[in-house]
Amino acid sequence: MAAGALARRDQRFGLLLTAPGLAALLLVVLFPLGFAVFTSLFDYTLVHPNHDTFVGFDKYVEAWNADYLPDALWTTVKFVVASVVIEFVIGFSVALALNRVTRFKNVYYIILLAPLLMNPVVVAQLWRMILHSELGIMNYVLGMIGIGKINFLGDPVAAFWTVVLVDIWHQVSFMAILLLAGLAALPREPYEAARMDGASAVQTFVHITLPLMRPVIAVALLLRLIFAIKTFDIVFIMTKGGPGTATDLISYFIYRSAFFGLDVGRASAMSVALLLIVLALTIYLYRYMKSLA
Amino acid sequence: MKRLLIGVLALVAMMGVARAETLRILMETVPDTEQVKSLLSEFKAATGYDVEIEAISYIDMHTKLVPQLIAPTGAYDIIIVDFYWVAEFTKAGWLLPLDEFAQRDGVDLGRYVPKVMATTGQVDGVTYMLPFYNYVMGLVYRKDLLEDPAEQAAFKEKYGIELGVPKTWDEFKKQMEFFTRDTDGDGQNDFFGTVTQAQRGDCIMMQSSNFLYGNGGRYYDENWNPLLNTPEAVQGLADFADATLKYSAPGSEGFCFDEATAVMTQGKAYSIITFNNLYATINNPETSAAGGKVGITGVPGGGLMGSWGWGIPKSSPNKDGAWAFINWVESFDIAKRRAIMGNAMTQTALFTDVDVVAARPEAPSLEPLVAEANAFPVFTYTVEFVEAVGREFNLAASGQKDPKEAAEAAQEAFADLLRKDGLIE
Repeated sequence: MAAGALARRDQRFGLLLTAPGLAALLLVVLFPLGFAVFTSLFDYTLVHPNHDTFVGFDKYVEAWNADYLPDALWTTVKFVVASVVIEFVIGFSVALALNRVTRFKNVYYIILLAPLLMNPVVVAQLWRMILHSELGIMNYVLGMIGIGKINFLGDPVAAFWTVVLVDIWHQVSFMAILLLAGLAALPREPYEAARMDGASAVQTFVHITLPLMRPVIAVALLLRLIFAIKTFDIVFIMTKGGPGTATDLISYFIYRSAFFGLDVGRASAMSVALLLIVLALTIYLYRYMKSLA
Repeated sequence: MKRLLIGVLALVAMMGVARAETLRILMETVPDTEQVKSLLSEFKAATGYDVEIEAISYIDMHTKLVPQLIAPTGAYDIIIVDFYWVAEFTKAGWLLPLDEFAQRDGVDLGRYVPKVMATTGQVDGVTYMLPFYNYVMGLVYRKDLLEDPAEQAAFKEKYGIELGVPKTWDEFKKQMEFFTRDTDGDGQNDFFGTVTQAQRGDCIMMQSSNFLYGNGGRYYDENWNPLLNTPEAVQGLADFADATLKYSAPGSEGFCFDEATAVMTQGKAYSIITFNNLYATINNPETSAAGGKVGITGVPGGGLMGSWGWGIPKSSPNKDGAWAFINWVESFDIAKRRAIMGNAMTQTALFTDVDVVAARPEAPSLEPLVAEANAFPVFTYTVEFVEAVGREFNLAASGQKDPKEAAEAAQEAFADLLRKDGLIE
């Protein structure tokens, strides 16, 4: 049998093997996505759940003009930047520290992973109780060391940073583990050469570790960025977007449009717009990663 | 192989039969649900039906219910309906009318308190639900403080009036101010005149409504014209913002009823306007520092009417079984046993029933609370109304917006939703 024919047979066989997986993927990923895009073009509400009134892009215009949408978008941008940047700084520091550890590494891993394994709803409820301004343990401890009570969830500025910090507490280990895996996979030779040349720890970090870690850092930032944009549970449980609009993130905004406003068409339009923004960011970062490679 | 196949098919068929004899209900994780659970074995003995109750927190209920109600055949045979959702559910045609069932089985619908029946019972003369429990809001106050001669003298000296159970809104405002104090001299108030639940959304709307009514305000007139920017409504919102920022525990801007109740049960507040079914929890000496020291009265101006009803979704897999359950659980005997366990009653006769009063001496005082409660706007977009107006109220209560400005924005949001529902032009 000719080599070309064999390759074609292999290709067909490969396609056959992957077909069920691809079909499942189409069903669970592309169908809901297509449904959302389709629904965003209709006046589909939960009171009249029918695709019988085509409205074109009206729902997109309506979504864009929705009251307080700019507040939700701006709060989301601030939240994403603050949480991802702080998580990266803490996560990278932890990863660098753990990379040198040889004893009790598993113990550190377990401690590090514990918050990540917890359900976000549980995390939010837990912190809600800890941060109760009058009865929570946090203000009790702060009082014992002479710091006055902090109105964690009642003051708009404090509430925003409380949500950011709870998200960091919950998610930082994801960043740390990912970066740690990257550090563990770095080649040893450049470090040995640097040591021979008398490079300091800072020089080694800046000129060897950071450049070699760039692709891993890009992946870690990309993933956390996508997750952070989708943050919902913490706000839903802890603040309901308040006080006022201080913690009103876009995911919760869209959720309210669908389930409180009963307007699935408008919520779908918002979701599709958000998807396009996330997609654009992903493509940009993917290209950046490829350029690094 | 053939035997195995037959065996599997038989098992699947048996599971189907077993499924048909199990009634599924979605309920909220509240004491009233536990009371029902404790009696289910009797229903099983009487009818043969198993009942599976899925109890979840309130915040998840609407989201979980709607997809099941839209589906041709849903997962739940019976649901409980908050009054917020009544117009939405009935307008969407998701609930089964119950009049035929009630007439067939001779159920006296007049046994319910009329206002409760109007809230979670009938819509435009059609019975869609049987009222399950009420959550009318009342004023829970520390009677030990009101009876303290030193407090009475100090209050009289400061305001020139007697200290007693508040009969007017102005009297209650003075009491909120009077009891807010710094007891340990560290410069920060640590005992509060009241506790507010000002978290955005449902929590703030429930409690701030009482401040609106207390000032003589209403949400809308007889033609559904919104009244949120009237002087009374603006004053109500200003009073609520004052109560939250000056007379309540720090952090009240983010409290819901659980956190607010916790402040009261820790003995750190003089009063709380709350759901009457929480009174037993606050007055229980085993779980509350205020236990045995509190009383409950109507909010001056009338409290907020709230209630839940039993309904059968049109998507219910077993409608006859669902009705059998509702008819049983709302029968006088079962309702009375639930009332003795602490259920917030909806049937008029229960408030003065000898056995109920023996178990719950406060029962007769709860009847006027329910009878005089004020209605909340119930229309197709009530849930969105709560969100939009609740956001503006929360902005005022957290000091981010002037109450007048927030009231104007709330008025506009309310009017938009009423127009969307076709109630005003």
